[in-house]
Amino acid sequence: MKDQLKEIQERFLKDVQSVKDLKDLDTIRVQFLGKKGELTAALKGMGKLTAEERPKIGKIANDVRESIESNLTAQKEKFERIKIEAQLSMETLDVSLPGSKKDLGKLHPLTKTINELEDIFLGMGFSIAEGPDIEWAKYNFDFLNVPKEHSARDLQDTFYVADEIVLRTQTSPVQVRVMEQKKPPLRIISPGRVYRCDEIDATHSPVFHQMEGLVIDKGITMSDLKGTLDLFAKKLFGEQTKTKFRPHQFYFTEPSAEMDVTCFKCGGEGCRVCSNTGWIEILGCGMVHPNVLRDCGIDPEVYSGFAFGMGLDRIALTKYGINDLRLLFENDLRFLGQF
Amino acid sequence: MLISLNWLKEYVNIECEVDDLGEALTMSGTKVETLVELSPKIENILTGKIERIDRHPNADKLVVCQVNFGDFEKVIVTAAKNVFEGAIVPVALDGAVLANGQTINDSDFRGVLSQGMFCSIEELGMNQDLFSKEMMDGIYILPANTSLGQSVKSLLWLDDVIIDVELTANRPDCQSVLGIARETSATLDQPLGSFETYNAPESLDTIAEYLSIQVESDLCKRYIGKMMRVKKIEPSPLWMQVKLLNSGVRPINNIVDVTNYVMLELGQPLHAFDYKSLGSEEIIVKTTDDKKIITLDDQERAIDQSMLMITNGKIPVAIAGVMGGQNSEINETTELIVLESACFDKSSVRLTSKKLGLRTEASARYEKGVDPDLAITAALRATYLLEKIGAVEVIEGIIDIYPNPQTQAEIELDPQWVNRFVGINLSADTMISYLKRLFFQVREKNQLLLVTPPYYRTDILIKEDLAEEIARIYGYNNIPGTIMGGETQVGEKTEVQKTENQIKSLLVGQGYFETMTSSFTSENKISGLNEGLPDDMVKLINPLGEENSLMRRSLIGHQLEVIALNSHRKNPQGRFFELANTYSKAEKSDCLPLQQKKLVLSSYGNTDFFDLKGTIELMLAELGIENVLFVAGGSDMLHPGRKAEIFVGETILGEIGEIHPLVVKNFNLPKRCYICEISFGSLMEAKKYNVRFKELPKFPGTSRDLAIVVEENIPASSVLAIIKDNAGDLLESVELFDVYTGEQVPQHHKSLAYALSFRHLEKTLSDDDINPVIEKILVELEGQLNGRLRD
Repeated sequence: MKDQLKEIQERFLKDVQSVKDLKDLDTIRVQFLGKKGELTAALKGMGKLTAEERPKIGKIANDVRESIESNLTAQKEKFERIKIEAQLSMETLDVSLPGSKKDLGKLHPLTKTINELEDIFLGMGFSIAEGPDIEWAKYNFDFLNVPKEHSARDLQDTFYVADEIVLRTQTSPVQVRVMEQKKPPLRIISPGRVYRCDEIDATHSPVFHQMEGLVIDKGITMSDLKGTLDLFAKKLFGEQTKTKFRPHQFYFTEPSAEMDVTCFKCGGEGCRVCSNTGWIEILGCGMVHPNVLRDCGIDPEVYSGFAFGMGLDRIALTKYGINDLRLLFENDLRFLGQF
Repeated sequence: MLISLNWLKEYVNIECEVDDLGEALTMSGTKVETLVELSPKIENILTGKIERIDRHPNADKLVVCQVNFGDFEKVIVTAAKNVFEGAIVPVALDGAVLANGQTINDSDFRGVLSQGMFCSIEELGMNQDLFSKEMMDGIYILPANTSLGQSVKSLLWLDDVIIDVELTANRPDCQSVLGIARETSATLDQPLGSFETYNAPESLDTIAEYLSIQVESDLCKRYIGKMMRVKKIEPSPLWMQVKLLNSGVRPINNIVDVTNYVMLELGQPLHAFDYKSLGSEEIIVKTTDDKKIITLDDQERAIDQSMLMITNGKIPVAIAGVMGGQNSEINETTELIVLESACFDKSSVRLTSKKLGLRTEASARYEKGVDPDLAITAALRATYLLEKIGAVEVIEGIIDIYPNPQTQAEIELDPQWVNRFVGINLSADTMISYLKRLFFQVREKNQLLLVTPPYYRTDILIKEDLAEEIARIYGYNNIPGTIMGGETQVGEKTEVQKTENQIKSLLVGQGYFETMTSSFTSENKISGLNEGLPDDMVKLINPLGEENSLMRRSLIGHQLEVIALNSHRKNPQGRFFELANTYSKAEKSDCLPLQQKKLVLSSYGNTDFFDLKGTIELMLAELGIENVLFVAGGSDMLHPGRKAEIFVGETILGEIGEIHPLVVKNFNLPKRCYICEISFGSLMEAKKYNVRFKELPKFPGTSRDLAIVVEENIPASSVLAIIKDNAGDLLESVELFDVYTGEQVPQHHKSLAYALSFRHLEKTLSDDDINPVIEKILVELEGQLNGRLRD
């Protein structure tokens, strides 16, 4: 019995050398270890053994089985590796070929600009307020302290749909609406579409976009206005940006100012973008006029605030170096695809 | 507005560099746009008198001039035609430099040495727009009383710097040399110079013998008349002409030049009438029924009752504040003049000027606002100048109609409030000194300042105005920057704003490009959409042309234009979207028009109906919107067989479809374009916010494929509805994977193949569970739609 087992093991070792692939290997596995295999057949003789011999022979039989099994496993791994290597050697890609084409659209550059500005002000605790494009003249002018006879109200400057209804010429009426509806403290920005009777050309459009901001609280100062807008400019144009506040006039604010930023193209050296001044005018701002507060039901002796407004189209144009406003509204894919 | 630096320097001592002056003025509120040196290169050009002119021995076209420079003489050869013996001219001597940088040297002209060159206006670098062509063509002839051997550069102020300032609407008082001088004085903290005016003997009132004035309209705030007897009408003195030229005004004659000079200097428009031509001894300021007037520029102007006129009691002789009439114009024979210095209502002048399409230096100033208190100063200043330059003899007395003299109110100011409001820390004394630099009167009373602005500062009414004055003299840039305190506030987008972003990101991810189109449309464009004009369109009263006369009610027209543009520019395909407002009339006339946000998607080239529909379905699913139904139908701009209305339950969201071939033709579109427009409001209403986690299944599911043959006009949605209605709770999903028409199904039939997935959460399903369900579905399909399982 013992010899028989030894003989099976030796024969296996001899036969296995001629195995060439996984299929042969499986055949030889069945031949030796299968239910009807040689080792199984040999072990059927175990019953005839004495009780003393049985454990000894059993151990040998187990050793033989384990030896064959581990040999088969090793062989199997070898052949699998060979097979994978054969496969790999056949499968080489020209990785420089282009990837398969995926469609991706783009946001309009104006939307991108608006998003960027919104994110900056959201981070400073502002909310975004919206209002109608078609607006009461009183919200667009009267409540903003614009004199009754001012030329901005003329048919040559402002679109009218009725005597008292205009296409808003600024997004400031949104601020009036917010002040009427909510109690201070207020921190809002209002981006949106505005309209003026300008024929379209490279720098003008009857339809354009503005963003205005408003802060109302107790103890808001002009130095808060400066600090806030300086921070905004640094976030939008980079940390190295400097700001300059020049006195100006708006009916909505008193005192009023215009803010210039150091040219982001030349850093203040002077170039074509900034007409060699080193500065770019970016927004108008000021302390909210007490008449405006009073008309909106806010006591100017208790509250103060500041407001600011900027042209979004112009910021988008300067930011991306676009030389013609009309491109924004033309929607040529070759333009839209660049942003 | 153009300001001559040299003129400004007559009022204020300016020692700093001109660029620094510009910056300082800008930072104190007078924005300096440009600083232009007039003719910086000019050198060694002197005044010389042509004593004798001889023919050139060797050239017919040249002459040889003996020129006297006072201390010396030179010989100049010239070809100029307009020179004459006795003429005083600018002469560029050896080594001189002309305005364009060219150097002049002694040179030989056919055997005669010319020791320089006579100069024209252009060669001196003067403002060429302000001279007549004859003057431009020849040598510049200077007035006969010009002293000889003088530097032309300083005589003609060619070394001047022209400052272009941008004024804000609240500062009409700055529309003059004096106004800018006052700002410069305050900015640089330098004293302000003074000017001389006519000192009228008080007792005499000779003017009353000639003239009376009445004001019959409150559009005239003040009207002053002053009369003079003309001695001689001639060119004004050179110094006056130079100041006019450097301010951009053309010199005409001594009388007109003085009126312009005073307007530039003080900001008060003046007008001079020929007394005799008035044909009357009275001036009445009023509105009239007259229909026309011929103005100084020889144009007939249509006038109406809204326009304020200066009349002689019968007919208009001037349009108040805009332009004088030809009928009372000064001419060579004028003996007596009436000088008008008046204040007219600014809106009235603005509207008149606008109606007439006639804008003058005078109307521009009146529009911004001229102070009535300035009128008397200006009248006396002009009288002084006219007399001084020898143009007139003054007729004593003055007529001054000023019914409601204005007064300046005192404003109470708490210096500590200014510090708190601006965020600075200045002493009361510092604030007082700033205000005094601006010529405000200040009294102190119990820690408060009582401030009276000068008469011309009509923009200063409240304490905030004074805060600005103090802040701008202190310097805005000296105010510290702080981050506001107060309650912490959360900056957050609203649910609607977030959804907008979500939709935009999703569509960009699907290859759609965001567009930005105009809000305007027109009847013409709408008719191109195969539709009638809706009667609730919002119409503009004053549109920029018919093409922009309506507010859009839909975004579709503009999308089609975008497609047309891109297709014509050979962009082979495109997918677009826009989320924007549309407008329609409110039902009640006392309400604002309605504003509805819509989402539009469009596509052309390498796309089809289902490509677009797939994106819509994806978007609706992403917004958690269920129960979506696409029902055949929609507006006439769409292909009748390829359009659908999109429903969520009973609510219609919008429509989708292929553009109708007629519309394709009207808009010049590529053959097949697809569009979908959805109401954003309805989308927001249908949107589901609550996302809840569902346990992942532990038991395997099982699936069955069913190919159902139905008549081809039966919508797939009906088949699907029957499957869903009868599959019971076990149905996990059902998906259409094939649509077949052809030989293997009967004619006019189609086969719809669905994959049904079933799953039980607590056990593995067996055929016994599924078979009855399938059976039921098939029975219902057959019963309701006459549908059969495909063989």
